[in-house]
Amino acid sequence: MPPAGMMRKAAFWACLAMFTGQIVLVLMPNLSAFEPFFKVDLIVDELSKVVLFCVGLVSATSLLSGEYIIKDEYQKFNFMNLLLIALAGMNGVIMVKDVFSLYVFLEITAVASFILISLGRDMGGLEAAFKYLILSAIASVIMLSSISLLLLLSGDTSFAGINAAIMTSPHSHLIMFAMGLFVCGLFIKGGLMPFHGWLPYAYSAAPAPVSILLAGIVTKTAGIYSLIRIMTLVFAFNDPIKYVLLFVGAASIILGAFAAMGQSDFKRMLAYSSISQMGYIVIGLGCGTMLGIFGAVFHLLNHAVFKTLLFVNAAAVESQAGTRDMDKMSGLAEKMPITGVTSLIAVLSTAGIPPLSGFWSKFIIILALWLSGHYFYSVIAVIASVITLAYMLSMQRRVFWGKTGPAFAKVKEAGFLLVLPAVILAAITVVIGLIFPFVINMFIQLPDLIGG
Amino acid sequence: MIITIPWIGFGIDLSLRIDHLSAFIAVAANIFGLLVALYCVPFLKGKRYAGQFYAYLFLSLIFINGAVLANNLIAMLFFWEGLLVTMFAMIFIGSKDAFRTAIKAFIIVGISDLCMMLGIILTGNLAHTFTMSSINLPLDGLGSAAYILLMIGAIAKGGSMPFHSWIPDAAIDAPLPFMAFMPAAIEKLMGIYFLARISLEMFQLTTSSWISPLLMTIGALTILLAVMMALIQKDFKKLLSYHAISQVGYMILGIGTAVPAGIIGGLFHMINNAMYKSCLFLTGGAVEKQTGTTDLNRLGGIAAKMPVTFICFIITAVSISGVPPFNGFFSKELVYDGALERGLIFYLAAVIGSFFTAASFLKLGHAAFIDKPREEHKDVKEVPFAMQLPMILIALGCVIFGVYNSLPIGLIQPMLGGHSLEGRSFAGFPSNMVLVVITLIVLAAALLNHLYGVRAKGSGLKAVDHIHYAPVLSGIYDRAEKKVFDPYNIGIYFVTWFSKALNWIDKAVDWIYETLTVKIAYFLTYYIRKAHTGNYAVYMAWSLAGLLVVIIYLVI
Repeated sequence: MPPAGMMRKAAFWACLAMFTGQIVLVLMPNLSAFEPFFKVDLIVDELSKVVLFCVGLVSATSLLSGEYIIKDEYQKFNFMNLLLIALAGMNGVIMVKDVFSLYVFLEITAVASFILISLGRDMGGLEAAFKYLILSAIASVIMLSSISLLLLLSGDTSFAGINAAIMTSPHSHLIMFAMGLFVCGLFIKGGLMPFHGWLPYAYSAAPAPVSILLAGIVTKTAGIYSLIRIMTLVFAFNDPIKYVLLFVGAASIILGAFAAMGQSDFKRMLAYSSISQMGYIVIGLGCGTMLGIFGAVFHLLNHAVFKTLLFVNAAAVESQAGTRDMDKMSGLAEKMPITGVTSLIAVLSTAGIPPLSGFWSKFIIILALWLSGHYFYSVIAVIASVITLAYMLSMQRRVFWGKTGPAFAKVKEAGFLLVLPAVILAAITVVIGLIFPFVINMFIQLPDLIGG
Repeated sequence: MIITIPWIGFGIDLSLRIDHLSAFIAVAANIFGLLVALYCVPFLKGKRYAGQFYAYLFLSLIFINGAVLANNLIAMLFFWEGLLVTMFAMIFIGSKDAFRTAIKAFIIVGISDLCMMLGIILTGNLAHTFTMSSINLPLDGLGSAAYILLMIGAIAKGGSMPFHSWIPDAAIDAPLPFMAFMPAAIEKLMGIYFLARISLEMFQLTTSSWISPLLMTIGALTILLAVMMALIQKDFKKLLSYHAISQVGYMILGIGTAVPAGIIGGLFHMINNAMYKSCLFLTGGAVEKQTGTTDLNRLGGIAAKMPVTFICFIITAVSISGVPPFNGFFSKELVYDGALERGLIFYLAAVIGSFFTAASFLKLGHAAFIDKPREEHKDVKEVPFAMQLPMILIALGCVIFGVYNSLPIGLIQPMLGGHSLEGRSFAGFPSNMVLVVITLIVLAAALLNHLYGVRAKGSGLKAVDHIHYAPVLSGIYDRAEKKVFDPYNIGIYFVTWFSKALNWIDKAVDWIYETLTVKIAYFLTYYIRKAHTGNYAVYMAWSLAGLLVVIIYLVI
């Protein structure tokens, strides 16, 4: 029997300490005191630090929201354990140096995610977990075959080894084939169109804290971060790959945005919105220039923050109003003022309105696209911004503004455990937006990532 | 003498200058202000807008003094524009329906002031300074453009055509002291002062430039058209207002001749006109106050009851008609002299204008004062002394300026600068006797015409009906009465049409935004949503298809 009562509370605090510890460690300038403890070969450069920060932040948020939303003691305990496993998986993905370990940690994360999604034991959750399982299995097969091909080509699985082999190898078609396989596997993990089939279900049907975790960090680490790492460290950034990235990114942006417009389920709309924003990151990556990659990474950070904030608000609304159907909701901002305000901040940041952080990252991506000559794609990105604003504002209007509907007369503001992360995340969005120049210099100093 | 106070910078200073022209005008304007204020005391007693009117009157005097004395174009513009506001206010308080007229006046004078503003900017640019005393530009391409813009501002202030259409309306709607003060006196003084400034000093207006015939044509047309309109008016004040418009044509014609005789004549006419026109309005006000009406159909035979008013009226009416030895005669002779030097047609226009001027004043005097007395006016008395005094003073002034015309001309002549006079003096009796004879013949003809009209139609009022209902003229008169030719109305019509077109364009743009894009968005989202069936096999198929496409693209 899993321990309950005092033991579980101790477990909760231990988890919280671990996540905040992660955040703090990332932000601390000098870690040399800890070096003797870590003999494993890890990459901890600026890119890793960004994503580690996101992981710590989102995991802490997910923990706090889980404490508030999950009512059963045993379920809470299980949730925390799974959260720790997922954390281990993601940290591994972020910091490893070779392809096979990357694969192993991806699988660890995926397994933890399956179980997390179905934690609520309702039909929706089970169905979503099943879809994720199937598609993730396909992704695993694809990536495994690609890794075996790369092993065949280079005799080594480490990033450096493979990179060296690719640079000198004469088998260009085989290399491209392997690259294509691996990249598609990562697309499935990252939820880009048309490989996204599992994502709307997982985000909307999973219990609220799990959605927060998924949307905030799992998809990003597993899919997008790995993509960035692989593209910059391992594979050569040649033109066909760039065009694939650009096209898939653009397709995700547009189709995700249009699909989001017609949704009436709050979290499903946020899921499609995530697909769209992920498209922005990939299209920024597809530029191939320093500015593009910087924009992509910055947008990754911003998206982690504002999407998590939106899902926290969705959790608050779901727990207080009892429904996810936006057509039934109205005027909740009167009853839930903090949720309404933080949601508005997140909406504006998603749409890319200055001076919030979303504006800067989108602007850099669009600028990078224009400067590298992809005028059509930059125009698409701009137009999609407008559509993003449209559906986001439509959500805000339906859910929060207007007169409070009669069914929601007794709704109160969500508890402290949900409000605190919301406020912190909103503050981060605003602050990053306002002090953007300092953020660049201090936090995101990408090393020269484009080797070849 | 020039005083300069630094003001805003960029060459914009509060610079004031007293030379012959500005001193003369300033003194004249202030005297008129004093006389009208005196007149107002009994006239406005009991009227509800009295207090406001005094306020605006004195406020106007501030602006007038500033504008006349200003030596810096921008400072002058500031004061000039201030007069717009007080003019609007003074018309507005006149009656409940005065709003429309006030707006009309504001728009007409405002638009011409805008042109003047542009002209000032252009001039300042060309001359690299805004100080009026140091500007002397030739009338080449840009220079003449600047001149035209400034000229528009000046003549619109004076009330020449085509900027005139608010004045007859204001005659009815605005309080009478406003009419006596502004359109009669001040606007002429200001407008012609500025016109003189730009013609004599700031730009080199010579007889050879094309602007001179332009000015003369404007002047001649104004004289003729306005006086024809004045002829048929049946209201005391409206008739006078059309004459105000007509007389400014003489001034513009005079200055436009660009010869010394004409210029001096124009300037002299300016001050003369200010005098007799304001006095005429004051007499009209006296009649209005005592009888309660200015409609000529209802007036008549009050000469015996209001002798002082009547005598002042006679004196100023003959002055304006140009009968010797009153002041109007001398200024008109000078203008004729100058016009004849430049072209016969201008001379003829001026003379014909005189004919009609005389005819219309004969009609006015006859109809208002001499005609059959009416029953309702049998208790009319003379006006209070405070109202008589200004009238008497001005009428005396008309006589003095006529007989001792060396006094005013001596003040005016130095404005030209010594070189252009070549030592001549235009004071005294006009030198060209032929012109004098022609004038006298014309006046006699006007008198005969009037007597004929009276005999034919039976009353003074109808004395000009034979002209009014003449074959071609009656059609034109009818349309003019309906304000078909009013440039303001034409402008309003055009603006209404234009704004309707813009509104239609705006609706089209709205349709694109609000209807078209929404429909497109809904269309797209519907099909995308339908494609997500929920069947995981479909999703698998998508992923595998995507994989295939990527591989093929990359490898091949």
